[in-house]
Amino acid sequence: MTSTIEVRDLVKDYTIRSGLSRARLRAVDDVTFTLTPGRTLALVGESGSGKSTIARMIARLERPSSGSITLTGADGERVPDRRYRNHVQMVFQDPFASLNPFHTIEHHLARPLRLHGRASDIRAEVARLLERVNLPAAEIAHRRPHELSGGQRQRVAIARALAPGARVVVADEPVSMLDVSIRLGVLTLLNRLQREEGLAILYITHDLATARHFSDDIMVLYRGRVVERGPADEVILRPKHPYTRLLAAAAPDPDARGRSLESGLDVAGNPPVRVDDPGCTFRDRCPMATRVCAQPVADHRVADDHYAKCWMYVDGT
Amino acid sequence: MTNLLPRWSARLGVGLGLVGLITLFGLLGPLLVGDPNAIRDIGLTPPGGGHLLGTTQTGQDVFAQLAYATRGSLEIGVLVGVMATLLSAVFGVIGAYVGGFTDEAFSLLSNVMLVIPGLPLVIVIAGFVPPESRGTWTIALVLALTGWAASARVLRAQTLSLRNRDYVAAAKVAGERPWRIVAVEIAPNLLPLLASQFVFAVILAILNEAGLAFLGLGTSNSSTLGTMLYYAQNGFALQRDAWWWLVPPGLLIALLGCGLALINFSIDEIIDPKLRNRARRRDTVAAPAPTVDDRDPDRVLTVRDLEVVYRVERPVHAVKGVSLTLRRGEILGLAGESGCGKTTLAYAINRLHRPPAEVTAGSVVFHDRDGTDIDVLALGPGELRAFRWDKLSMVFQGAMNSLNPVTTVRAQLDDVLTTHRPGMSAAERRERCQEVLRLVGVDPARLGSYAHELSGGMRQRVMIAAALLLEPQVMIMDEPTTALDVVVQRGILRELLRFRDELGFAVVFITHDLPLLLELADRIAVMKDGEIVEYDTAERVHRDPRHPYTRTLLASFPSLTGDRRDYAREGAR
Repeated sequence: MTSTIEVRDLVKDYTIRSGLSRARLRAVDDVTFTLTPGRTLALVGESGSGKSTIARMIARLERPSSGSITLTGADGERVPDRRYRNHVQMVFQDPFASLNPFHTIEHHLARPLRLHGRASDIRAEVARLLERVNLPAAEIAHRRPHELSGGQRQRVAIARALAPGARVVVADEPVSMLDVSIRLGVLTLLNRLQREEGLAILYITHDLATARHFSDDIMVLYRGRVVERGPADEVILRPKHPYTRLLAAAAPDPDARGRSLESGLDVAGNPPVRVDDPGCTFRDRCPMATRVCAQPVADHRVADDHYAKCWMYVDGT
Repeated sequence: MTNLLPRWSARLGVGLGLVGLITLFGLLGPLLVGDPNAIRDIGLTPPGGGHLLGTTQTGQDVFAQLAYATRGSLEIGVLVGVMATLLSAVFGVIGAYVGGFTDEAFSLLSNVMLVIPGLPLVIVIAGFVPPESRGTWTIALVLALTGWAASARVLRAQTLSLRNRDYVAAAKVAGERPWRIVAVEIAPNLLPLLASQFVFAVILAILNEAGLAFLGLGTSNSSTLGTMLYYAQNGFALQRDAWWWLVPPGLLIALLGCGLALINFSIDEIIDPKLRNRARRRDTVAAPAPTVDDRDPDRVLTVRDLEVVYRVERPVHAVKGVSLTLRRGEILGLAGESGCGKTTLAYAINRLHRPPAEVTAGSVVFHDRDGTDIDVLALGPGELRAFRWDKLSMVFQGAMNSLNPVTTVRAQLDDVLTTHRPGMSAAERRERCQEVLRLVGVDPARLGSYAHELSGGMRQRVMIAAALLLEPQVMIMDEPTTALDVVVQRGILRELLRFRDELGFAVVFITHDLPLLLELADRIAVMKDGEIVEYDTAERVHRDPRHPYTRTLLASFPSLTGDRRDYAREGAR
C-alpha cells in the first residue's frame, strides 16, 4: 500500500489586523511538489520562511488560501477526505510539547489505533509499534512523557505517526530540539522505516547537512517561495541560487579554521524588499542583484531535474 | 499521577489539618450535641459547667449551635464551589476552545459579571427572594451566579494556551473529535487549576454567605456561622460582654478560610513549580583562593576545582571540580549538551547563580589588567556590582529577547554608562554608544530605535554592543547565536573575531555546536555531566579527540560536503 501527495500552486495568506487597517501576509507563495512513496523530500529554509505552514497545511491543521493538495492511493484513485488522516501523519518539532503530560505512552499510541480501527489486540499492537521504533515496550508503555528522554519521546511521536498506518509522514524539524548526540539516531530510524515501509517523507529542516544525507531531493524555501529544487547532492554540492550558495557557505568547516569566517560570501545591504514583492524577494540581500531582479522571475532549469528561481539562469546555464 | 498531587509541606499539613478538623466537627458535631434551639431560662451563661461554650440570650447552647452552623456553612461552601466551578469551566474552557463568536459572547458575559460589584448585587438578589423560600439552595445559587466570572477568565486564558499545544494539534491530526480533545487532552491538564479555583470559590462563598447572613439576608431554614453572628449581633452580645457567643463562629470562619487558603498555596505549586524550592540564599564562600601559579602571565581568569550543587530534594551536582584558565585575547569554547552544566558554570563564574544553586568548593580568580587578583567568590555585594559588566560581561542565551521593549536602545546603553562611569558627560556617553554600535556593525542612527523595530540579528548585535560598552576583559557568551539563521549567525561571529583582535578581550563561548567551535575557538573544553572530559586546543580536538564522548559529539555532525555513504542512506537505493 502506497500513497502519493501532489501539491499544486499552494498559497497561504494571513491577514494581520492592527487597529482598523488590515494587511495581507503571504506565508507560502505558489509552491508545487510531489511526495512519492519511498522517497524523502527535504524542505530547507530559515525560521519564518513558511516551511512549517506547508507542513501544517499537508497535515490539515491549516487550510490553504488557494492551490490543491491531492492524495492518491495505491489504486491510483483520489483518497476521500474522511480517510485522509489514515494516510497522512505528522511528527512535530518539540517532543516535549507534542505528548500530553497527563497521559501514558500507551494512551498516545492506542488512541490512533482505535480511531482508525487498526487492530483488535490494541496492547499487542502498541508493543509492536514501540519495538518498531527501537523502544522496549514493556518498560515504556505505562510511563508518562516526563519520565522519558527527548530522544525516546521523539521515537514515541514517530510510532504515533505510524499507528494509523500512515503512508505519508510530514516531519517538521524532528530533531532540532534534541541533543546533538542523539539526532542522527532518530534520523536513521526515520530513514529505516521509510525504506522498510515505502513511506513518502517530507523532511523539514534548517540544517543543510542532514537534508543532504537523509533525503533524495531538496527544495530551498525563501520567504515562502521555492528558490531552488533538485536532487540532494546537486543542490548542496553545486548550488545555483545565490541564497543556497550563501547557506552552503555558512556551514561550519573545521578544516578551514577561521578562514571561512573571515572570507565567506557577503550579504548585500540593498534596500529591503516587501514579502509580496512581485520580483525576486532575495534581491535585498543578494550580492549579485541587478535591475532585472525587480521583474517577476520564473524557475529556470540549471541541470537535470535541477531548477533555480533566479534571473542569472534565464538562458539555462 | 504523582505530579498532579501537591507535595507534602508543613503548610499543606496545617491547611489539611484545619479543614479536616472543622469538616469533622461539622459532620459529627450535630450528632453529638443536643437540640440547638432548646430554650432554657439560663440566658447568657458564661462557658463552663453543663454548657461548654456557654449559652445565648435565650439560653440556647452555643456549642450545639456552632456544630449545626458549621455544617450549614460547609454545605453552602461546597455547593457554591461545585456550581461556580462548573459554570466557569463551561464558559471559560468551551468558549476558549471553540473560539470565534462563542468565545466573544462568553467573554463579554463574564466581563459584565466582573464589572458588576459583587456583594451589592448579591444583596439585591437575596433581598428580592422572599424570606420563606430563602433556603440553602437559593442562597448557594445566588452566590454561584455572582461568583463564577473571575475563574472563568483564568480558565479561558489557560485553555487558550493549552489548545495551541502541539499535543492538541497531534490529536487533531490523529483524527480526534473536538469534544474528545477538550475532555481527554485539555481538561486533565486543567485539573490543578480547577482544584484551586474550586477551593477559592468555597472560601469566597463561606465569607460572602457570612456577610449576607450578618445583614439578615441569610438562609431562613438552616443556620450557618453567619446567621449565628447575626443573632449574636441582634442579641447585643458585644454590649453585654458575651464573647463566647460571638468569638467561636467568627474564629471558625477565619480558621476555615485560613486552612483552605493554605491548601490552595500547595495546589498553586503544582501549577507553577517555580514556587517550590524557595531555598534561602546561602553563599558559601569557599576556602581562601589558593595561590595561583604565576607561570602564565597572560591569564585573565582562573577557575579552580569549582563545584556547584543544586540543593533540591535530591541534590544535583551540576558542576564537578572544573578547572579552566582563560588567557587574554583567547576564545575558549565550552561545548556540551543540554543539562551538562555549561550554563550553570557560566553563571557561577559571574556569581549569577541563584538558590537552590550553590558554589560548594573551588575558586574563581580574575587577574586584572593592572596586576591585582580579584577573588570573585569573596566579593561583597557592592564590589560584585562594580565588578560585573565592568571587568566581565555576559551575553545571555536568547539575548535578543532581553532588550527592554519600552525604552530605546540609547536609553539602555546609556544606563550602563551612567551606572558604571558616573564621571562621563552626556556627550561622551553618546559618543561611546555610537562607537560600540559601529563596532558590531549596526548603524548608530539606530540608537533611537525600540527593540521591536530591529531584526533578531540586529538585537543580538546590540546586546553584544552593550556587553562591550565598558571594555571588559572577559566576555561570557551563552549560546549567543543559536536562535538566529545561519547566514546572520556567520556575520555576527565574523565580527566577533574581528573586534576580539582589535580590542583584545577574552571570550568564553558556550554552545552545543562543536563544529562551530572548532572553527572559532582557540581552545575547547568539552563538558559532560558536570565534568570537563576533554580540554585542549581546537586543532587537537579536531585532529585527535581523546575522549570517546568528544568523538561521539564530532560524529554527530555530518559534514555538508563529505562522503554521503558515511551516513544512513547507505543501501537506500
